[in-house]
Amino acid sequence: MANKDAFGSYHPVINFLYFGILLAFSMLSMQPVCLVVSVACAIVYYIMLKGAKAIKLLLRGMLPVFLLTVIINPAFSHEGSTILCYLPTGNPLTLESIIYGIFAGMMMVSILLWFACFSEIVTSDKFVYLFGRIIPALSLILSMTLRFVPRFKEQFDVVRDVQKTLGRDTSTGPMLKRIRNAITCFSIVITWSLENAIETADSMKSRGYGSKHRTAYSIYRWEERDKGVLAFLLFCGLFLLAGGLSNNLFWRYFPTVRGVLTKPITLALELTFSLLCALPIYLDRRESKQWNSLTSKI
Amino acid sequence: MKKIIAALLIGILCVISLCSCGIDEVPATLEDSMEIPENGIISESVFQALKDENKVIVFKGKSNEIEYEWTVFGKDIEEPKDTNLAIEILEDKVDSLSFKLSSEEDLNFGATLAIHSVNLWTAENAQLFFADQTDKEAVANVSITGEKSSVLNMAVQKKGTYKVLPLKQQSETKKDETSNSTDAKTGNATDESGRALSDGTQTGQDSYLTDPVPEGKPLPVEPTEKEKETSVEKPQTEAPPVAHYCTISIECSTILNNLDWLEPSKLDCVPGDGYILYPVTVEFYDGESVFDVLQRTCNYYGIHMEASWTPMYNSAYVEGIGNLYEFDCGSGSGWMYRVNWWYPNYGCSRYQLADGDYIEWRYTCDLGADVGGGYAVGN
Repeated sequence: MANKDAFGSYHPVINFLYFGILLAFSMLSMQPVCLVVSVACAIVYYIMLKGAKAIKLLLRGMLPVFLLTVIINPAFSHEGSTILCYLPTGNPLTLESIIYGIFAGMMMVSILLWFACFSEIVTSDKFVYLFGRIIPALSLILSMTLRFVPRFKEQFDVVRDVQKTLGRDTSTGPMLKRIRNAITCFSIVITWSLENAIETADSMKSRGYGSKHRTAYSIYRWEERDKGVLAFLLFCGLFLLAGGLSNNLFWRYFPTVRGVLTKPITLALELTFSLLCALPIYLDRRESKQWNSLTSKI
Repeated sequence: MKKIIAALLIGILCVISLCSCGIDEVPATLEDSMEIPENGIISESVFQALKDENKVIVFKGKSNEIEYEWTVFGKDIEEPKDTNLAIEILEDKVDSLSFKLSSEEDLNFGATLAIHSVNLWTAENAQLFFADQTDKEAVANVSITGEKSSVLNMAVQKKGTYKVLPLKQQSETKKDETSNSTDAKTGNATDESGRALSDGTQTGQDSYLTDPVPEGKPLPVEPTEKEKETSVEKPQTEAPPVAHYCTISIECSTILNNLDWLEPSKLDCVPGDGYILYPVTVEFYDGESVFDVLQRTCNYYGIHMEASWTPMYNSAYVEGIGNLYEFDCGSGSGWMYRVNWWYPNYGCSRYQLADGDYIEWRYTCDLGADVGGGYAVGN
């Protein structure tokens, strides 16, 4: 296949705008239909992006987060008008707090997954391309910060191996000694990372990063197809914003679960949000279909 | 794979739409208040709109320069029709007020009438009577709120002339009889149930930050093992614990006075007449506190109640009753309790009950000042 992910091959502005709208909406809306759609699409898209590795993360990372929220919420929040039973503390266990816990868990999972997709699609080169001109210092810091943990881990492995050859083994020996050796390694990597950060900054500066007349090569072109997606994104964003502000996506969990669900305008908003969530999945599917039909003709 | 996901998605959507049957019910909303016209007639269309859109409205009127307000909940209206809501205040004195409904017929919905008296009542509680039947049974309870001048809140439905009179304070007489008894051993004053009373000489705070308790009021009793004993079932051989009786009521009229401060989502929880629980007589056992009785009563009547244990004050703190929580109606709002017309200055788990105690749980929107209990929080 030519490109693993078709949506990622669109212009960075489109990628960034898409996740911006989606994350903002997912964080602000607690409408159950939107949450379910959001979680479902995020799971499907994440699996499409990462393959089998994604399922491991879903089961080991997301499922516990979800279950924890579902259990913790009714244990600490006792508001709600439907009392199911009483907890040992004497406070009531309410249906509303359980329902809220389920949807709060879904919201958390959907946002975490969309951020995971975001870091897959909007890579640091795209980020610097987008913001290198407007906010050079901040975008450099952001891209360095985002890369910090994986780089730190890599460097730690290297340092540990070197220290092992010097006799400072962190995997065998008495506990106290191992800890001491690990701390030595850690201190070395910290020093390295500080120095590395300064070096990176200096090196970027000496290459004229952030200066007015510097040009940069970029592989991103604004194409015809980007226009169509941009129009769609703007439409969805404005429509959802208007719908949210006009209370047509109103939903409350306490003290009774109440909200609009089946009004025509609400259905239209829910449909729009579903289309927005499913956009990258649809684009990828279309691309791979096209590719398959083209290769089959050869 | 895709088919499974699609099926799952549709399944979840179905479950949600099933769960949400009845969710489309319109939540209550607060309408801007409305002036009552000269002739007092509020037209049918107004009530129809209230009922259809489940709104809450405050009708404001004036009689002899005395302001009054009707709070009408759309959920209480069954058959909308033209209704005369004007009242005529006949008399407004301290601890006595009479008024007449202008309406020629009974109202066909329940509503709360709040009269802003120009006087500050000395009575802690009052009752509503028909003017010609003050010796008979009261029509309704009147909750007195307000800081500088009293606001009388009552549920009125029948036509006629009414009189508001103070509720006879049984505790006054009770106190006179008992406060003289002195414990022979310790020399401390006690009441007839053996509760230690404050002699008013204690100065400074105790270990749980309680200011001195005024003279003649019961001292706090720390909730300890004693209480647990009664809650744990005793062996059958022993005699059953002796039951005592006290009266408890839960009321939130101040919210009706300050509806515009209320969290909009909580409007559904506010009872139309301000009473979550009318005064009822309930059983309690030796050594039980106000909190025990509140918890048991709420449990029995299915009233929602949330409390948390506060070690600093060695007492439970009642956060919310009937889904009306602290801070739901302004930053100074929350639940307070009053026993025999006195707001104790310590937690409700430390107030040990005696036979015949009259407990009132009242919602305040102004740190107790509007329910006559500002002193309990140190104002």
